[in-house]
Amino acid sequence: MHSDARASFGLRLGAILGLLFLHLPIALIFLYAFTTEEKSYQFPPPGLTLKWFGVAWERADIWPPLYLSLKVAAIATALALILGTLCAAAMTRTRFFGRDQITLLVLLPIALPGIITGMSLRSAFAVMDIPFSTWTIVLGHATFCIVIVYNNAVARFRRLSGSIVEASTDLGANGFQTFRHVILPNLGSALLAGGMLAFALSFDEVIVTTFTAGQQSTLPIWMLQELIRPRQRPVTNVVAIVVFAATFLPILIAYYLTREGHETAGGGK
Amino acid sequence: MTAAVEFRNVTRHFGPVRAVDGVDLTIAEGSFFAMLGPSGSGKTTCLRLISGFDAPTSGEIRIFGEDSGHVPPNRRNVNTVFQDYALFPHMTVRDNVAYGLMVRGVDKATRRNKAEEMLSLVKLAGYGDRKPGQLSGGQRQRVALARALVNEPRVLLLDEPLGALDLKLRESMQDELKALQQRLGITFVFVTHDQGEALSMADQVAVFANGKVAQVGSPTDIYERPATKFVADFVGSSNVLPPALSRQFGGPDAWCSLRPEAIRVVEGAGQVTGTAGSARYLGAGTKLSVHLGRSEDMEISVVLPPGQAVPAPGTTVALQPMSGALHVMAGEK
Repeated sequence: MHSDARASFGLRLGAILGLLFLHLPIALIFLYAFTTEEKSYQFPPPGLTLKWFGVAWERADIWPPLYLSLKVAAIATALALILGTLCAAAMTRTRFFGRDQITLLVLLPIALPGIITGMSLRSAFAVMDIPFSTWTIVLGHATFCIVIVYNNAVARFRRLSGSIVEASTDLGANGFQTFRHVILPNLGSALLAGGMLAFALSFDEVIVTTFTAGQQSTLPIWMLQELIRPRQRPVTNVVAIVVFAATFLPILIAYYLTREGHETAGGGK
Repeated sequence: MTAAVEFRNVTRHFGPVRAVDGVDLTIAEGSFFAMLGPSGSGKTTCLRLISGFDAPTSGEIRIFGEDSGHVPPNRRNVNTVFQDYALFPHMTVRDNVAYGLMVRGVDKATRRNKAEEMLSLVKLAGYGDRKPGQLSGGQRQRVALARALVNEPRVLLLDEPLGALDLKLRESMQDELKALQQRLGITFVFVTHDQGEALSMADQVAVFANGKVAQVGSPTDIYERPATKFVADFVGSSNVLPPALSRQFGGPDAWCSLRPEAIRVVEGAGQVTGTAGSARYLGAGTKLSVHLGRSEDMEISVVLPPGQAVPAPGTTVALQPMSGALHVMAGEK
């Protein structure tokens, strides 16, 4: 029987329409960052201009949220890198009672709806009399950032042949030397990828942040508030482009980093 | 000659499993020592006890006379060639070989020279800049060897060193390992399940069964004078004779082993008669199986020398052991 490798016209049209539905709004957001009209988003834009980038740069209220977002994402990622890696090492290198249950608990924050995480953290902070600060936001973000790093590290640990650690010890290395010269180089790209993804996730997080931020605004929350106000609308679009770049580029880099190194590290045969 | 490694009543239990069960062993300095046994017999655990990656449940392991109980693996003057080679995939071959020197803080120039020296010792000069991923299985094996030797260990442990290589390569590596050991003069302890490998390379062989040492001796001892049924069966193709059959062959009333090539098929009356079964041509002779009488449903292997006519299946044959060929297995009661 002749099998036709080409999809039917209808299917192809459907696929194209689906992709347009998903991605056209993003393209429109970019487009309206350049429009000359600031009150309503009329189509097509009456004219194109770069002035909103200048206006955004001048706006003093954008800088504190941007700075806060970067700070939170950086600290949460650093925290996740340390704790996620340690956790992955423990889970792959030892067997103990309740290991599978603990693995589930570690993975839970990413499966849990953000609103649940946010509410529970908020009430926990209230019970413990912890005032809202940058650190409460960081803690909220770290819950899911750890999972991302953990997942990447665990996958790499599993591929790492266990005997290369023994080989290093056998040749006279102490624990630190083994970590520095054998484990870290083999874990490096997985950690970088995990860290980038964690950073991107933290940078555009809204739900958990609204519960744990108090009076402060991160950049995504600033955008949310800005949409309600009709003043200088394209500025929000300019900020959207910045957020897009800050999250999309790390994810793209992480994708290329984890795509390499598919061969088993330390596999001898 | 002093003992390089000494096991004194060593046991290692994993929960209810007695992986190593009361082992006493003395490995002489400068010897090529084989630990032979089927998988699960405790040989690999014994190797890990020497390297320090595992600790005995009870008993003592002495390395050059010193109790090694509290010496961590990175402080033992013992190095290992791992079964899967365990080369560091992110380092060049040269850095792999020099690793043991680097972690000891040896300067770069010395490290480089020593690594090159080791690579030429294992016939891999010029491969220093490659990554392990670019080497063949046999080449990786040599890198693992060079890496383990760079620290000048007094004992080199090899865990199934040739297991992953194909037959031809395995045979040439056997010769090379043997030559290397003689040249360096250090103690080699290797673990294998391949009796041919153990017999052809080692000076001394310990046969392991169920966590115990069934027999220790030279390859000739093990092959020609097995101490137990297990050794006779595992190491060679010896016939194992129960006491009654031993008597029929003119031996004592005890379990005996009898090599197939030490039995003659004779004309007329022999000591034992049987029925010829299937024959297999081996090149250096023909292996014939002979079924013995009704009383015991037993089969005996006999190797006929080249030139002797092979009896047709079903014909009655008479068997005569060569004098002194019957060996009493002291380990069987």
